[in-house]
Amino acid sequence: MYGGDEVSAVVIDLGSHTCKAGYAGEDAPKAVFPSVVGSIDQMEVDDPDNPDKNPDTKSKGKRKFYVGSQDLGFRRDDMEVLSPIKDGIVVDWDMAESIWDYALRKCLLIDPKEHPMLLAEPCSNTQQQREKAAEIMFEKYQVPALFLAKNAVLTSFASGRATSLVVDSGGGSTTVAPVHDGYVLQKAVATSPIGGEFLTDCLLKSLEHKGISIKPRYAFKRKEIRPGEFQTVDLDFPNTTESYKLYSQRVIVSDIKECVCRAPDTPYDESSYSNIPMTPYELPDGQTIEIGADRFKIPDILFNPPLAQSIPGMESYAETTSYVRGLPQMVIESINKCDVDIRRELYSSILLAGGTGIDATIERTSGERFT
Amino acid sequence: MDAKDILGLPKNALPIQEKKSKPPKETQRKPDGISREVYALMGGLAPLMPSVDVNQLKRKAQSENEKITWQWLPFTNSARKDNLQLYHWVRVVNGVPPTGDYSFAKFNKSVDVIKYTDEEYEKYLVDPAWTKEETDRLFDLCERFDLRFIVIADRFPSSKTVEELKNRFYSVSRAILIARAPSPGDVVGHPLVKEPYNVSQEIERKRALSMVLSHTKHQERRDVEVLAEAKRISEARKAAKAAEEPELPVMADTGHDVTDRGAVAADSISPSPSTQFPSATIANPVSETASVVASLRMLQVYLRSYALEQMVQAASSSAGLRTIKRVEQTLQDLGVNLKPKVPTRAVCAEHLELRKEILTLLSLQKQLQYKEAEGSSYRDGSYAETPGTPPPKRLQRAADLDRTFTPDSLSFGGERVGKRDQKRKGPGRSEAPSPPAQSKRPRKYKASD
Repeated sequence: MYGGDEVSAVVIDLGSHTCKAGYAGEDAPKAVFPSVVGSIDQMEVDDPDNPDKNPDTKSKGKRKFYVGSQDLGFRRDDMEVLSPIKDGIVVDWDMAESIWDYALRKCLLIDPKEHPMLLAEPCSNTQQQREKAAEIMFEKYQVPALFLAKNAVLTSFASGRATSLVVDSGGGSTTVAPVHDGYVLQKAVATSPIGGEFLTDCLLKSLEHKGISIKPRYAFKRKEIRPGEFQTVDLDFPNTTESYKLYSQRVIVSDIKECVCRAPDTPYDESSYSNIPMTPYELPDGQTIEIGADRFKIPDILFNPPLAQSIPGMESYAETTSYVRGLPQMVIESINKCDVDIRRELYSSILLAGGTGIDATIERTSGERFT
Repeated sequence: MDAKDILGLPKNALPIQEKKSKPPKETQRKPDGISREVYALMGGLAPLMPSVDVNQLKRKAQSENEKITWQWLPFTNSARKDNLQLYHWVRVVNGVPPTGDYSFAKFNKSVDVIKYTDEEYEKYLVDPAWTKEETDRLFDLCERFDLRFIVIADRFPSSKTVEELKNRFYSVSRAILIARAPSPGDVVGHPLVKEPYNVSQEIERKRALSMVLSHTKHQERRDVEVLAEAKRISEARKAAKAAEEPELPVMADTGHDVTDRGAVAADSISPSPSTQFPSATIANPVSETASVVASLRMLQVYLRSYALEQMVQAASSSAGLRTIKRVEQTLQDLGVNLKPKVPTRAVCAEHLELRKEILTLLSLQKQLQYKEAEGSSYRDGSYAETPGTPPPKRLQRAADLDRTFTPDSLSFGGERVGKRDQKRKGPGRSEAPSPPAQSKRPRKYKASD
């Protein structure tokens, strides 16, 4: 039930993996699209149509941004795939602006002047970030009103609680934040760089090690030779950037991850899962792959990060994952940093948020909690 | 039928349809007012009762009286300080928009935090552990966060514990309150003055709470075990104390009663010890008898007549006064004394059993009466009561006899309740066969003794 007043406010949540935008009061966002942009550097500086443009634009020239899964899905020469977000906070405001533009004007089809805006920000947002966001919103979009709310508080309120422990495992990172009476307890927030994208990378490396090459969608064409039978023809586009190729591969692998992977009920170990039956998955180019132990190994990295070191190709992350804590440890650490009086309440209201395999992790985390 | 039509399948042979047409005759005739598909959805039968009372449904609109429109109008919120004007949908009746403040403005409540001036700070509030900036910051945060000290502690620049912050805040408020009051008497009733914040107690409480929370499972299990053990010990002590009670008066009497017993007449004996009990208890201070009791308890001696009385009471506790009188009447008719002449073990046991059997007899007689009155068959109920095996010790044997008898008294109680309440004849009647079976069992024990 929507308890607020209908002032036609708009909510935008620019996450590290996806951007969500929608109307306040509705159950789900209207616009959900990846928060990466395709950017093509345009070397032509002079734009004869706009003589009053600021003459000292960067020598690189204007960058043209392509936002949204449809535009990103179309392969263009020299298009780099970049993300405005690093470590959860915005570093490139031009890209962030282009994403907001796309969300407001193309997806929601609104004029920002008429709608109060609610921006969801990460718990670790700095004052400078907030000021910049407010500046862009008021000056560029001329919104009538703006409110910046922390993700954890919004999650807590959405489930009807003023006090809870919010475990948000999203694309770029996992955050455990206690919320007390509607305010985040900053000193007790625990973050970990292990998120959905990290798991996708692990799966990608693991599949490559097994010899399975993931062909991006643009790199092949399927012709129907006979009715029901297809032949795959490889296409070559020499001007495609590495980042675009990686992005396309990641899209496919993250779909594999979402379909096939499950959090194991007990902590993962090699021997017990070595004889697990394989699950088939058909790649877009027609080849069928079998996935066995990786189904359970990948999600278990959330709970046991050092497991990632055993994946060949992920050794570069060895140093980071050795000191990163798993999900249950983060929860306990976060609660222990809080005042004794509220610990009981926090333990009894733990909320899971974020797009990284929620259903699978619920049983596992509740089982592993206090053993 | 319709489904087959839709699917294009051939209809079934007619004879089958004819057979089936008889039961669903009502379904084929649908009432007017509902479409055929909806009727089929409801199971082909009209509902027995209307699910929604038509009168309960709201009237569509008072559209005859008023004209209601919804308009997108601007509004201001008195809870805001900046005169922001937003728009929202408003229900306009007859062109008159509703008046009054914004409906959510009343929720803007805040806490009154005391504000002090600099001179007041210099005079009353100086504290070695706190600088003025810190105190100012604290009060500013208190106002912003409405005294949510946990959040304030989280946002406080230097790391002070919640208790320290609370202590400073409450002591400052208290000092200001007392300082500003025209006379001390005015503020004595104020909660801040009456009950000052106790830092050490809070710290101790939190420490204890954190210890409790950090108990491991192993520790918790041990705690539970220890508590159960403690409970058992205390109950054992209580039982021993209860057994002590009859021995209290005993101590005074055993001296003179034992010799008198043989000489005095039967009926006078039991009254005499009983009359002497109260006198003995009154006469002797408890502390004296207590030590004597303790020593005698070691020898495991107790007065059987008193124990017999208790057992009789226990056996007939649920019997009801009238039934007890009848039992005693029967005893007297049979020529048996109400209290046995020589209360030895065997005699007491026999006496109790006799009483029990009389009770059984009486209840059976009543049951017979009821049965003859009704003449209906009774249910078989089995109230399995297995009396425990007799342990060797005498004391426990008495308690055990108690136990064997109380199940019977329970069954009697059930019967009696059945008699009183005519509705519950079943259970009462069903218990009729069991007591005679049980009455046999104590006899077995006696034989084994």
